[in-house]
Amino acid sequence: MVALARKTLIYEWRRFLPAMLAVGFAGLLQLLQIALVLGIFGSTSLYITGSSADVWVGYPGTQSVGSGRTISADVESRVLMDPAVQRVEPYIWVDGDWRGVGETGGVSVFVSGIDPGANGLMFSKALPPSLRARLVEPDAVVVDRSALDQLGVDIGQTATINGHPVRVVGISSGLRALGGVNVLCSLDTARRLNDDPADNGPTYLVAKLRDPSKAGAVAARLRGATAFGPYTTWSADDFARLSVLYWLFDTGAGAGVLFLAGIVFLVGAAITSQTLIAAVNGSVREYATLNALGVGVAALRRVVLEQAFWVGALGLLGASVLGLLLLMLARSQDVPVVLNVPAALACIVLVMGLAAVSGLAAMRSLRRADPATLLR
Amino acid sequence: MHPATASQQISGPALFAEGISKAFVSGQQRTQVLDGLTLGIEAGELTLISGPSGCGKSTLLAILSGLQKVDSGRVHALGSELGQLDPRALERFRLQHTGFVFQGFNLFPALSAFEQVELPLNHMGLSRDEARRRARLSLEEVGLAHRMRLRPSELSGGEKQRVAIARALAKEPELLFADEPTSALDAANGQMIIDILHRIAHAHGTTVLCVSHDPRLVVHADRVLAMEDGRILSDRRTHAAVTQSKEIPS
Repeated sequence: MVALARKTLIYEWRRFLPAMLAVGFAGLLQLLQIALVLGIFGSTSLYITGSSADVWVGYPGTQSVGSGRTISADVESRVLMDPAVQRVEPYIWVDGDWRGVGETGGVSVFVSGIDPGANGLMFSKALPPSLRARLVEPDAVVVDRSALDQLGVDIGQTATINGHPVRVVGISSGLRALGGVNVLCSLDTARRLNDDPADNGPTYLVAKLRDPSKAGAVAARLRGATAFGPYTTWSADDFARLSVLYWLFDTGAGAGVLFLAGIVFLVGAAITSQTLIAAVNGSVREYATLNALGVGVAALRRVVLEQAFWVGALGLLGASVLGLLLLMLARSQDVPVVLNVPAALACIVLVMGLAAVSGLAAMRSLRRADPATLLR
Repeated sequence: MHPATASQQISGPALFAEGISKAFVSGQQRTQVLDGLTLGIEAGELTLISGPSGCGKSTLLAILSGLQKVDSGRVHALGSELGQLDPRALERFRLQHTGFVFQGFNLFPALSAFEQVELPLNHMGLSRDEARRRARLSLEEVGLAHRMRLRPSELSGGEKQRVAIARALAKEPELLFADEPTSALDAANGQMIIDILHRIAHAHGTTVLCVSHDPRLVVHADRVLAMEDGRILSDRRTHAAVTQSKEIPS
């Protein structure tokens, strides 16, 4: 079979280049947008994804990690009674007002009180063991590298949170927060920093299971008891998703993403279909000749669709290479970008869908390939 | 195909038009291009329809080849009535039985001469080897064996038209239609093209119907139909036809 679609694409690549660029940039825009949104809003679930807990226990109706309420410390014994649970530790979240030595004014901080022990679950993936060990010191805190200017401190300096003195003992990375600054300290320090006398239990209890794959079932099993006061449970995955979705839709960012995806699709499809239509029109006499020789319209349509497919595939390839380079650049500059498989698949579907719609539009101009017009 | 078998298969003319009429309407203006025309075209010879532009000869070719429908009348081609066939069946008929050569060569810029010829064969259900064998033979027959790897941009006008002829010929059609095949060519190339068409009619028993206003072609045709205002003014067999057909071994 003579590969008409591919040979034409290669020989007349200049003709198809605008379409490939349109598809490629549409894909790239979409890819970076999704990666940025996932990166920025993914940080709202950092507390969960950066930790090795499988099940989270918190106040019923909690919408995101940052909006928890204290639960009774007694719940810990209820959770420990479950044979699937290997370890439980409290996690204290305190909203704080930071006053640094520099001229920064007040800075809103999210204080995370965690177990500083070597086996601690919280931030086990985000905090190096040496830094974690330094939190044992009273009033010691660790802050993220990206927030140093904002907090107006450097390592070894002191500041106050809610009027209590703290000292920066370490600087970590990858702990960027949304709408504030993450500050890590020990459970004891966190309790001292909390102004509210009504808060006397942990904000969350986090549990490690012997078999992490059973997180969903164990979370369901632990839910519903009321003897220890109000609480509910989530598997870590569910709670992370809950947090991200809350931020996506509470801030309107989710609608923005979908809106921009629609715009990108429309603009990309408009340019791509116009280019493909021009390519079909440029070859319309040749297509008409083939039709005169008895090659069916369906076969000619396949040629146009195949060209659209290759335009999509090549555009996608370009977008992937450029996208990966840009994502690496972003990572190196501490810009929060995250790309996961569903997001990458969504980009691929969008780009190939765009190419397919453009191909279908271009197929319509094959109507002009009427062989009778060649005889005038 | 052998001339003898071709004429045995078809009783009567290969192409027969019976009382065909065709009019074009543009706005308020109605132009009667063909009016009750009856005509038979024989297999195994080169028939030339000549006449000034606008006399309806291209419309007649479009109708006889099944590219256009008639307003009234009937067209029989190889025993089928073209008016009875739906568009899909017409495509199939053209795929199996007809070849076309147009004034513009209409070659794909991206394909080599060999691929131009092979492409329609791919759609005829031939094996890859058979398609390639036929493509090679056709290009050899039009004298392009040494140029078959070249693209249209590397070929002269005459060579391009010979590729177009090879593309039609490789299908081994019973009917070959040519519309002004020499008008874009100089005298020498035009001569070569008409010689090839003539040879195809005689060697393969193909019904070759050629439309042209090029007076140089008249002496090379077996039969010349002169047209004007949608009517056939004269129908004569030329001397060339008599001498040429005697040379063909039976």
